[in-house]
Amino acid sequence: MTRARRKSWNSVGAASLARWIVLTAFLALTGLSYVYLTLQLYHLGDRKKALETEVANLRMQNEVASAQIAALTSRSALQHRLKEGYLKMIPIAEHSIVRLTMPARNQEDAVQPVSIQRVVK
Amino acid sequence: MKWNSRTRCAIVSFGFVLLFSAFSFRLIYLQMIKHDEYAGLAAEKHVIKQPIFAERGTILDANKEVLAHNVPVETVVADATRLTDVEATVDLVTRELELPRTEISEKLQTDRRYIVLKREVPKANADSLREKLRAQNLRGIYFEQDATRIYPNGVMLCHVIGFTDFEHRGIQGVEGSMDEYLRGQDGYRYIEHNRAGQEIVLYRGQERAPRNGFQVHLTVDLNLQNIVENELDVAMREYSPKKATIILMRPQTGEILAMANRPAFDLNQRSEAKPEQMKNRAISDLMEPGSTFKIVSAAAALNEHKFGLDSYIFCENGVWNYGGTPLHDHAAFRDLSVKDILVKSSNIGAAKLAVSLGDQKFYEYIRRFGFGERTGVELPGEIPGLIRSPNSWSKISITHIPMGHEIGVTPLQMATAMCAIANGGKLLTPRIVKSITAGDGKTISSLSPIGLRQVISPHTARQIGEALRGVVSDRGTAAAAAVPGFAIAGKTGTAQKVGPNGGYEKGKEVVSFCGYLPADNPQFVGFVVLDDAQAKPEQNYGGLVAGPIFSRIAEKAARYLDLEPHEEIRKAIPVERVALTNSSRH
Repeated sequence: MTRARRKSWNSVGAASLARWIVLTAFLALTGLSYVYLTLQLYHLGDRKKALETEVANLRMQNEVASAQIAALTSRSALQHRLKEGYLKMIPIAEHSIVRLTMPARNQEDAVQPVSIQRVVK
Repeated sequence: MKWNSRTRCAIVSFGFVLLFSAFSFRLIYLQMIKHDEYAGLAAEKHVIKQPIFAERGTILDANKEVLAHNVPVETVVADATRLTDVEATVDLVTRELELPRTEISEKLQTDRRYIVLKREVPKANADSLREKLRAQNLRGIYFEQDATRIYPNGVMLCHVIGFTDFEHRGIQGVEGSMDEYLRGQDGYRYIEHNRAGQEIVLYRGQERAPRNGFQVHLTVDLNLQNIVENELDVAMREYSPKKATIILMRPQTGEILAMANRPAFDLNQRSEAKPEQMKNRAISDLMEPGSTFKIVSAAAALNEHKFGLDSYIFCENGVWNYGGTPLHDHAAFRDLSVKDILVKSSNIGAAKLAVSLGDQKFYEYIRRFGFGERTGVELPGEIPGLIRSPNSWSKISITHIPMGHEIGVTPLQMATAMCAIANGGKLLTPRIVKSITAGDGKTISSLSPIGLRQVISPHTARQIGEALRGVVSDRGTAAAAAVPGFAIAGKTGTAQKVGPNGGYEKGKEVVSFCGYLPADNPQFVGFVVLDDAQAKPEQNYGGLVAGPIFSRIAEKAARYLDLEPHEEIRKAIPVERVALTNSSRH
């Protein structure tokens, strides 16, 4: 009886089983990694998009601010404020102006000025 | 045939082979033969070419002050097929965007998929509407990014800057002429989106970055422009002319330092402007220049050595019958030197100078000074003026053209001709664009002066300059154009106005003054013209109306440019004049 039982016993190769387990685990891990990394790519894509939107919004805010600065510091706006009395300016008196000798202006390609003096005959 | 198990297996296997072969062939047909077609169809469903709009370049003045730039705005659009609650949406949109309810209600109660509700909505308003739509869970309203052009200085320099249309194409002024550089180049990106319409960044395809428009730097100095505009406004209040123009130019380079016209308009409210307000009269209006044109006949006669500056010409005691028509002077002059012909502005003297040259030669000089052709300034809509060729002149044309009649010029042509006198006889192309740079400051193009031709010799230019110096003196017609401390050269002009039906209109004059400062080393040329100024008849002359305007502008401009006054001239100015000028400054 015992002998017969022994005969019907199917032996399992530990090495083979281990190989299959490792292989399966490797495949499972690879698959899961693939899924995880793909999801990460989607996630990073979404983050990239969110950051792009944020940068675009910041750029837009910057442009709006630049436009406001340009409008508020424009000559017309400043003159308006001057008229309103918000800004005060005092003209510089002639005796307060110290004139320095004007440096020679060397403009490229400029036609040289002509001195108008009495024509000597 | 025996239906044993083997046969049945073979039949079933054959069936499977056939079935899977059919699948395989179908797969090959779909994946290889019809691949492009179906890939295209799929792409149409999911892939879209998303434009990335280039930013329009800014326009700056010579000191890098901003004249035109962009501000982000949004366009609010609706898809009527996706509205969840039309009534609530209409309520919210009309309230937030301040739009008429009936109009929006009509628009949204259709099945159109793209309805523009409002353009150029400020970002803050768009954000507010977006938040409220989200809070009320209303769908079907979308926002598109856009930009609009703003002009911080409003009316100032409006004709030069110009404006764009709603598609951001420049259609007037520098916006129009430099549109190619300002516009930039839009980029694109191929994107895929999911069923909710959101981009799947992972599948982002080919991409090309936009190239933003270049920055255009003008030669105009806003400080000088401001001086000119303020004086023009004062002149408009004082004389109420139909139209007026002032130009300041640098004679050595042809750079336009200031250019202003009236009537004018606000660039930020251009939809309300009338066509006559939008016209840049400095380049697109014909005017008979009057006596300022005498510089041409005098310069031509001196350059051709027909006369010397001090040669005397008999001026017929005020009336000269030529070609059966009497020609009058404003006073009875007997003998005048060529210099005094300009100083006293004698019509007969100028006519005799032209007659000495002959029709053909005189015409040649008119053309050499640039009249009858476009100056080539970088502004759209310039006209060439109106100069008839000598074979269509009447017998008396040679006596009328020297005093600025029977000829049509633009204010810019007149200022350019005066620049030629001031710079030693060289005709330059006037420039309004100084340089073009990229956003990072790299210079794309730097525009140097363009010398067209030597019109007259430097010696002749000096002689004319000396004569013009006499015009702005107690002996001349433009004593009121003087500036304390500076020697000024210039010429007045008073021309009767040509009526719409031809012929001259009585009592209506075009008064002008064209001059430069300092006379011995010109830093700027100025031209002032007022059309139909409402002055007393005895005062409606170039020297009395346009001259003082030039004087005020020149004085302020000289201060701004820090030109050094000549002490001896300063001392020579009467105290009352200085006091008057000083008081008028404040």
